[in-house]
Amino acid sequence: MLKIDDLHVHYGLSHVIQGISLEAKPGEVVGIFGRNGVGKTTLMKTVAGWVQPSGGTIALDGQSFNGLTPDRICRHGVGFVPEDRRIFPGLSVEENLKLGLMQRRKRSAASDRAAVQGIYDRFPRLAERRRQAGTTLSGGEQQMLAMARVMIGAPRLVLIDEPSEGLAPMIVADIFAIISEMKAAGMIVLLVEQNLAGALAVSDRFYAIERGAVVLAGRTDSSAAREELMRAIAV
Amino acid sequence: MTSALEFIQFVLAPQMITGLSLGVAVVLVALGLTIIFGLLDVINMAHGEFYAIGAYLALALGAAGINFWLLIVIVPLIMIPLGYVVERGLIQRVFNKPDRHVTTLLLTFGLSLVLEETLKVIFGPNTQRPPTPIPGAIDAFGIIMPNYRLFLILLGFSIIIAVALIVNRTALGAMVRAAAFDRNMAASLGVPASRIYAGTFAFGVALAGLAGVLLAPVFSVFPTMGHDFIFMAFTVVIVGGMGSIGGTVIAGLVLTQVQVLSSLVVSPVWSDPIVFSIMVLVLVLRPQGLFGRMGHA
Repeated sequence: MLKIDDLHVHYGLSHVIQGISLEAKPGEVVGIFGRNGVGKTTLMKTVAGWVQPSGGTIALDGQSFNGLTPDRICRHGVGFVPEDRRIFPGLSVEENLKLGLMQRRKRSAASDRAAVQGIYDRFPRLAERRRQAGTTLSGGEQQMLAMARVMIGAPRLVLIDEPSEGLAPMIVADIFAIISEMKAAGMIVLLVEQNLAGALAVSDRFYAIERGAVVLAGRTDSSAAREELMRAIAV
Repeated sequence: MTSALEFIQFVLAPQMITGLSLGVAVVLVALGLTIIFGLLDVINMAHGEFYAIGAYLALALGAAGINFWLLIVIVPLIMIPLGYVVERGLIQRVFNKPDRHVTTLLLTFGLSLVLEETLKVIFGPNTQRPPTPIPGAIDAFGIIMPNYRLFLILLGFSIIIAVALIVNRTALGAMVRAAAFDRNMAASLGVPASRIYAGTFAFGVALAGLAGVLLAPVFSVFPTMGHDFIFMAFTVVIVGGMGSIGGTVIAGLVLTQVQVLSSLVVSPVWSDPIVFSIMVLVLVLRPQGLFGRMGHA
């Protein structure tokens, strides 16, 4: 279980996250919605350890990882698919993918091979392009690679920031299908997404953020809550 | 016709082979420099002094009776913890400061002065020359080639190929390249970025130490020996593209050929100004160097 309690983040004098608290359970997709610049990406980066909080706690299954470096947070079972995918251009598709294996605990050559093969079976396009440089892939394929690179580590919590940005509708459907698979595998998924319809379809619950604070929380299967959400984040 | 052949046999070929051994020597020194720059974005001004430390260690341990072939292994192994401590104890402390480039440049410059003066205190200011490990020379088609320089060229190329394979073909190398491009993303995939940084710095320092062992019998050992090679090594790294191993090798071999062959056409005193002018020209026209950076497409 992910538990974020009274989280605060400052960029210099700017108070970007102002006391966010939220929870998410295994096998649950939680959507984080809000207009641009309200602190959604900062929230993701803070959970991943890229940004240090100025207050509050972040804990996964009771283990706090405040103040830890991103690699140690990763080894606590946190996977991060950032907004701009961050595929390494000097690495092949397979090298990009295999970096994700670092997160696994008990590793052997056989288990690594099986994990890579499992990803290739699920994403045949990546298998076809395994020798290509990661950044020669199309935007959609790069997003697949970014998500596969996290899935291969079998994390307990996955942070996904704007996965459908700039992608064709067909690919977007694939992206949401992958998120559903992560949920089915028992992972906690924290999803920041501008495509509200798609995100609500795949999410169990949501939080709406305004100026660095949660202004609304609810279940996506409640039409009243969805309407309230629309009003809360409407521009 | 005969005079042309004689020119090739007695002037051009020996000069090119001298250039090749010099080129390999420069590349060996520059390799660590470019790897450290490519990954850490740190211009290591103390690299020449690490090269000198390698040479002095070889000299001291050689005097203690350890043979040359063991020194090739032992000296880099001694340099690894030294490099690791310098990275963790000095570079990391200022690494996240906003003016990192200037601070690390000045810090490593200060370190280079400390190391150079320490070498002077311990070993004295005089030049020393270890015996040539492989004496003699071979005569190939009338071209006389010292055995040790031939060995240096062969071993140098083997080391360059081994380093390129480690960086470009291993899982460890993939981690290094990933961390060179995007430290945060690499770390979020579990790459232990701080240890990779310190380990890579140590690897670069070990390469400088290895170059010191190998080049001491050719270029002698003296406290300021780091300066001699470091200017050329910096030139090679800048022209080749900071962080590019392939670029370093090509620039190293081409620039040393320019250096030795230009002395056939103009007075040898002009060979250094010509080579350094190429560096200035590259910095003006293509500041990123002729080839790409490590970890970048």
